[in-house]
Amino acid sequence: MRVQIIGFGIIGKGFAAVLKDKRDVLRQRYGLDIKVVSISDITGTVVNENGVDIQKALQVMEKSGRLIDYPGAVEMGGLEAIEEVDADLVLEFTPSNIKTGEPGLSHMLKAMEHGKHVVTSNKGPLVLKFRTLKDTAAKNNVQFKFEATVGGAVPIINLAKENLSCDEIVAIEGILNGTTNYILTRMHKEERPFEMVLKEAQELGIAETDPSYDIDGIDTASKLVILANSIMGINATYQDVKIQGIRKITPEAIELAKDDGYVIKLIGEVKDSHLEVAPRLVPVTHPLNVEGVLNVALLKTDVAGDITIVGKGAGAIETNSAVLSDIISVWRNGNNRNDGKDYP
Amino acid sequence: MKVSFDLELKDVPGQLLKALEPISGSGGNIISIVHIREELSKRGRVPVKVICEIKNTDALEDILKELEKRDIWVSVDEVKRKKKMTVILIGHVVDTDLRDTIDKINEIRGVMVADLALSMPHPDKESSARMDIEVSGHIIDTVLERLDEIAREKDLVVIKSLEVSD
Repeated sequence: MRVQIIGFGIIGKGFAAVLKDKRDVLRQRYGLDIKVVSISDITGTVVNENGVDIQKALQVMEKSGRLIDYPGAVEMGGLEAIEEVDADLVLEFTPSNIKTGEPGLSHMLKAMEHGKHVVTSNKGPLVLKFRTLKDTAAKNNVQFKFEATVGGAVPIINLAKENLSCDEIVAIEGILNGTTNYILTRMHKEERPFEMVLKEAQELGIAETDPSYDIDGIDTASKLVILANSIMGINATYQDVKIQGIRKITPEAIELAKDDGYVIKLIGEVKDSHLEVAPRLVPVTHPLNVEGVLNVALLKTDVAGDITIVGKGAGAIETNSAVLSDIISVWRNGNNRNDGKDYP
Repeated sequence: MKVSFDLELKDVPGQLLKALEPISGSGGNIISIVHIREELSKRGRVPVKVICEIKNTDALEDILKELEKRDIWVSVDEVKRKKKMTVILIGHVVDTDLRDTIDKINEIRGVMVADLALSMPHPDKESSARMDIEVSGHIIDTVLERLDEIAREKDLVVIKSLEVSD
């Protein structure tokens, strides 16, 4: 399978690193040979029909941080690479932008129009134009996979769509942002004010310099929109989410919660077409009470009852578990599973 | 959940069976029946007390609806129907008239603020309050809406519990 990487930041480089380790497994287990025919970042594009030297690309990035410094790289943008380079699948890893969706949105649509499957970790385009993307993929008869956009390594979407394919998912509740979970966990354990814990989280690189995306609930809301659309078939956009962040949580509130057997968590909830992100009181014994940077999702279903899934919601390596499983799924669907191989 | 029904039946044959069918029909398990034929109610009907175990509040609502349809007077032991809801309010909880906040919640029928814990770190700083609110099952949404109204009006943050417990 010929693959193009668009966006060579944390997730893109993580993909390259994981692919290096997993090449043999993919070949042996699935007969899948992934050839990266181009890599693009904001500075330029490396193209090689026989496969770009991933190791070398990673070295260049480590040294200069600019892909254009790769010998033979050309000043070609992502969009042009999608148009010009022959490939089966586009990995869209550019930074998420929930205001315009760009440049990811154009990349994805262009790829689909050129008959290329799309696998992505980029939330923005899905939050704004989920329907358009799904329809464009269907029209062009290509697959569109985005497990890595929600919950990092935690396979929430595929769990619902593949393993609970007969169930009706009636509600979803979860902690979909590791940064806020980390801050609230430390506030709970150390009885310290929000600002102080946030500052430490920033020093540790767990929170961004501008933390609003996480702590004001924007990230959680974006993921909720994707879950509502993809799992529950609700045609919702970001504007439909009622959002309250965690800035105003005081140590006193956390103490009062603790005294009564609760922890405070930033919870995203979809129920009856209502999407809400808010700090909630979670009983300490409840399955959603997970600590640190962990993510968790509880799916309420009509047949299976409640199903809870916990795991790492971020990380360059962990997130690529979701990306690779999406690629494998595209590969298997493409092969119609009729190739005589005994898939696990 | 265990529920106690006080029924009032017409003094004609077949009434007791008519009253019990909706309970067994919803999967309820009847624990005891006290049939007091000597003491007629104010409305001249025969009082019957039925204690039973039923699945949940939805089943209870179904039973009540069905009994009403069958023209059977019924009152349910309210204490057993109550659910506890915990909320935390953050902001100038006291300065924005805590008494008024509680009144606004209590004025909803079937709702009562049953417990209150307050934490005030400093007179100038925001304080936090935890409230236990007792609510009849079917009006939880009304209470949540009222809390949102209060929060908007008084610029408070409301943290609701994830689940409402029996």
